[in-house]
Amino acid sequence: MIELTINGIDISVEPSTTLLEAAQFLGLPIPTLCHMEGLTPYGACRLCVVEVGDPPNSRLVTSCTYPAEEGLRVRTASTRVVRARKMIVELLLASCPQSKTIQDIAAAMEVRQQRFRQENEDCILCGRCVRMCSEQMMAGAIGFTGRGQDRSIGTPFESTSEVCRLCGGCMYVCPVCELRCTYNEPEKAICGGCANLAPPCVEKPQYDDMMCYMQPCVACEIKKD
Amino acid sequence: MRKLTSLDDLIGFRERVTSERQLKAETPTLVVCAGTGGQASGSNDILRIIKRHILEQGLGDKIELRITGCQGFCEMDPFILVEPGLHLYPRLKMEDVPKVIEAALGGYIEKDLIYSEPQVGTMFHSQRDIPFFKKQTRTILGKNQLLDPIRIFNYIERDGYAALERVLSKADPDWIIEEIKASGLRGRGGAGFPTGRKWELARASGDDHQPKYVVCNCDEGDPGAYMDRSLLEGNPHAILEGMLIAGIAIGAVHGIIYVRSEYPLAIKHTMIALRQARELGLLGTDILDSGLDFDIEIVRGAGAFVCGEETALIRSVEGFMGEPRQRPPFPIAKGIDGCPTCINNVETLANIPVIINRGAAEYAKVGAPGNTGTKIFSLVGKIRDTGLVEVPLGMKIGEVVHDIGGGPPGKARIKAVQTGGPSGGCIPAERFDLPVDFDSLKEAGSIMGSGGMIVMDEDTCMVDVAKYFMNFLKEESCGKCFTCRKGTQRMHEILEDITEGRGTLDHLTLLEELAIVVRDTSMCGLGQSAANPVLSTLRYFRHEYERHIIDKRCDAFVCKNLVGPPCQSACPVGTEAWRYVAHITRGEYEDAYQVIREANPFPSVCARACDHACEQRCRAGTSGGDPIAIRALKRFITDRIDPSAYIPVREDWKDGDPPRVAVVGAGPAGLTTAHYLSLKGHQVTVFEAEPEPGGMLYCAIPEYRLPREVIKKEIDTLLDNNINIVCNTTLGKDFTIDSLFEDGFGAVMLALGAHKSRPLGLDNEDVPGVYPSIEFLKAFNLRGEQLAKGRVGVIGGGNSAIDAARTALRQRDVESVTILYRRTRAEMPAFEEEVEAALQEGITIDTLISPTAIKTTSGLFSHLECVRNRLGEPDSSGRRRPVLIEGSEHVIELDTLIVAISEDSGVDSITPARSGGVEVTDWNTVKVDSKTLLTSRPGVFGAGDVVTGPNTIIDAIADGKKAAVMIDLFIRGKELVQPADSLLPIVHIEPVDVDEEEAGADRVETPRASIEWRKRNFAEVEVGLSMQEATREARRCLRCDLEFAERMTQSDKVAGGHAE
Repeated sequence: MIELTINGIDISVEPSTTLLEAAQFLGLPIPTLCHMEGLTPYGACRLCVVEVGDPPNSRLVTSCTYPAEEGLRVRTASTRVVRARKMIVELLLASCPQSKTIQDIAAAMEVRQQRFRQENEDCILCGRCVRMCSEQMMAGAIGFTGRGQDRSIGTPFESTSEVCRLCGGCMYVCPVCELRCTYNEPEKAICGGCANLAPPCVEKPQYDDMMCYMQPCVACEIKKD
Repeated sequence: MRKLTSLDDLIGFRERVTSERQLKAETPTLVVCAGTGGQASGSNDILRIIKRHILEQGLGDKIELRITGCQGFCEMDPFILVEPGLHLYPRLKMEDVPKVIEAALGGYIEKDLIYSEPQVGTMFHSQRDIPFFKKQTRTILGKNQLLDPIRIFNYIERDGYAALERVLSKADPDWIIEEIKASGLRGRGGAGFPTGRKWELARASGDDHQPKYVVCNCDEGDPGAYMDRSLLEGNPHAILEGMLIAGIAIGAVHGIIYVRSEYPLAIKHTMIALRQARELGLLGTDILDSGLDFDIEIVRGAGAFVCGEETALIRSVEGFMGEPRQRPPFPIAKGIDGCPTCINNVETLANIPVIINRGAAEYAKVGAPGNTGTKIFSLVGKIRDTGLVEVPLGMKIGEVVHDIGGGPPGKARIKAVQTGGPSGGCIPAERFDLPVDFDSLKEAGSIMGSGGMIVMDEDTCMVDVAKYFMNFLKEESCGKCFTCRKGTQRMHEILEDITEGRGTLDHLTLLEELAIVVRDTSMCGLGQSAANPVLSTLRYFRHEYERHIIDKRCDAFVCKNLVGPPCQSACPVGTEAWRYVAHITRGEYEDAYQVIREANPFPSVCARACDHACEQRCRAGTSGGDPIAIRALKRFITDRIDPSAYIPVREDWKDGDPPRVAVVGAGPAGLTTAHYLSLKGHQVTVFEAEPEPGGMLYCAIPEYRLPREVIKKEIDTLLDNNINIVCNTTLGKDFTIDSLFEDGFGAVMLALGAHKSRPLGLDNEDVPGVYPSIEFLKAFNLRGEQLAKGRVGVIGGGNSAIDAARTALRQRDVESVTILYRRTRAEMPAFEEEVEAALQEGITIDTLISPTAIKTTSGLFSHLECVRNRLGEPDSSGRRRPVLIEGSEHVIELDTLIVAISEDSGVDSITPARSGGVEVTDWNTVKVDSKTLLTSRPGVFGAGDVVTGPNTIIDAIADGKKAAVMIDLFIRGKELVQPADSLLPIVHIEPVDVDEEEAGADRVETPRASIEWRKRNFAEVEVGLSMQEATREARRCLRCDLEFAERMTQSDKVAGGHAE
């Protein structure tokens, strides 16, 4: 058993427990996006950062990937952590404002607006779909391609996948497209609640004849003009 | 090659090879650098010619040729170094090569081609004395010039593999680790982790059935860094030896050299080196009968900067996309395929044989405590001697930049140095006394990094630098971490907004916050150091950011959208030089005059006496040709069109009686303010101490440069019913600031100018025969007194000195005129044209001389005691300080001495200002707020030379215009804010068709009166251009404004309004 301290609370955990699991065991709230139970932790979204170590050598690490260490001192909501999380949420809103998951996290952290140029993307490259496809559905049809700005999710060489079974698992776990909101003025600040209309499946041709998991949703009955 | 099968075999082999070389030690050898840089400069041609010459002349046994890798003196490529004398012949052309060969054979030096220091001219016969090499400690890099990288024999001749011998004979891996630890070697890849400690951990890590790996990281991704390339190209065996010793120390049998594919020559040389080492039995199984196995393979990178990061490199070696992962676990514990992996930088490994051969204690003597050894830096950018330099850690940055690098290549002052590449930060010139070591650089906000040192000068925009590095990092980020990927993208976006004129102050706050979060939350070093370029430029150059945002200006003339056409941007009053030049090409002279006059109330004056900053920035001049003769073209127009052609827009004062403003000083600043205030309806009274208005224009600038009638005509045009000039009235004697307010003036403007010469501070400065230059000029210009007699000496190097000298030359009783300046001709602040005109007229300029005592005979000035100077260290202005040479005292006999070292407003003017409640400085100028031009007393403004010290006419006019705006706002009770105006053209003038011959023509020569005719009188020396000459010159203009024409709307083009 490994002994460590989180937010001043002493806790003892099995080896290879992550800090996130330990904190969740204690009931401490840590926001996550790319983390999902059942999938290996990836550490892409950086929302779950916590401060470890003692100043001046303390640093922020992602709690979902960091294994518990003997004698570690962890703080889940220090000033540095909160400041980092708020900025990350601003960046998320600046990219994908219409995701309810992101909006809820923003509302919980009291972030009311974002100061960057507004974009409307539908992917934050959290990798949940990739890990779902390869680890849970045992298909491995999609992965990351490209680097930096050009990084995207896709099949090898963008060719039609022979291993994809159209299970819909990737869409099921996506934090951005699972619950979407379209409000009147996308440029304005976020709203608190939303109705989900126009999910992205309507836009993408290959999902036209798929089995839809989203309930309640009447998108397929809405014809595109 | 026969394989060596034991340690004694190797020792014996070395002895044989070394003694063979000794026999040839005195044979003349031509050493040619053929690294990638050398080849790009043309060393392949040099080699071809050498080989052909040797074969044709049958010189095979008389002369040797050694082709080496990069030696580091890249600015001088292609060069030949002749041993044994170490004569360096730089920048050779193909036809000079046979001369060098003959000189080498004959044992003499070819004086026309031997190295001489640029800008200074001293010849150096031996490479050791050349300043670039003298201060370096070339422990590692120096080996490159001694061996041919594709011949293992060369390496062995020079103590190659001697460290391996020592290690094998000790047969104690722990001893190796202790030695490396004792040496204090820190990783040279950037992080500076102690290498001995890393090896110790690697040795202890893992279990017996896991293989261990030694990796050499040669994925040198930093733009501008090429040290590792030069080491791997030039001396690959040193790396192999280092890796061998590392492998023995930590118990590894596999070595991997990870090279980026953009280094084909390094890969080729390494492959050859590996093959030869294997053939000789130094790599493979049971090396030299020791029972140890070690072999090395090469893995190529695929074009990703991020793969220089340890964990990403490991992924790449494993065959995956290079992506970092979280540490712990560290590569020492779990690396390639989960096995312990020790990754070291190329330069770190090159240091290993040195440590083993010399011993750790000797090695640790070089460098600084905690930072032992040397480091190779790539010194590039705006520096005279670009190349690779190797210095002991702890040397000051200033020494590297000035003593080794030679300082700036031109006149622009060095502003900062960027260390550590895109992950590093900038160090401003004020902190060049910082030692170069890991900890000092970190504390200053930068990092050592892999050793890139990019020098930046005044023509580099620091915001643009941050944007450039952010663009690089954005492209190279692997994209896994959301904050790094989006953060670099958004930071680049904000910097783009700022450099294109869309920046706000909120952007700066956002930028800083974002940078800190990116640094805190990214997983690997790329993201963690991505904030450095932004944060360090913000720390030291925040004023540049603010200039871009608030004033919408880029002072380095880099950010195109904030500069517009450079001629307009460079002019302090924003004259649209491109516009009137374009009108001249179309024969529209009246339109041209309107453009000139709109911006400048003194066009004829400036057409003769302006220092034309526009010409210095003219793109025709900066891109290799001659700048357009803008001033001469302005003169062409102002000579033709009468000032009455321009009718300014006037407003009457609404709201009761017009307010009264007092302007003290009728120089260019004062008269400009008066004119613009009168256009707004104010009643202005201008008080002038001298009998005539015009300030320095009248009193100081001589007639042969600026005729009196021109000044008078221009001033008369500006006067109107609202302006009243009162001459012979002096502040402090006839009125005070208090009395002006009591008289009912609503505001006072001080435009007293810098009209008093500064004294030298020597005894006898007030005896007859010694005159301050302004007094001398005033005496002649105002009263016609010719004070100069006989042999005249003028002390100083500025415009006032030249004016005094040329005026004295024309005076009746003068025999000769000599100017005495304490620095060199290159540092003289006077306009280049003026200095040349002075020389043409027969004035002598004596440089590097300073006066020490003024001597008299019978109460009259008779001779001057002087000393000679040499140039020493640069002072805060960047110019080299004059340092007197002991024993150089001498005497110059003269009849008249004119002191023209500098001017200020003089105590007589400053005292009444101070007693009027205005704050003044210690150097006799008035202090004002730079944005509002208000002094410390409410309602009192200051502009022109009285604020800045001696400055140009156009700067005074610009100040005057600004003061008029501010005074008007003040009187109306409004906030003293002037919004920044855009400099982009909003008028489109259709260009004329110009053929190639016209475009490539030489700059027109400004016609001047003949020398003999000039010296006899004070008539104007410069003559105007003819219509043909002017049209031809105007057609050379590159029309930099048309670039922005596409952005204009159709209505702008039709309306033809212009920015105000």
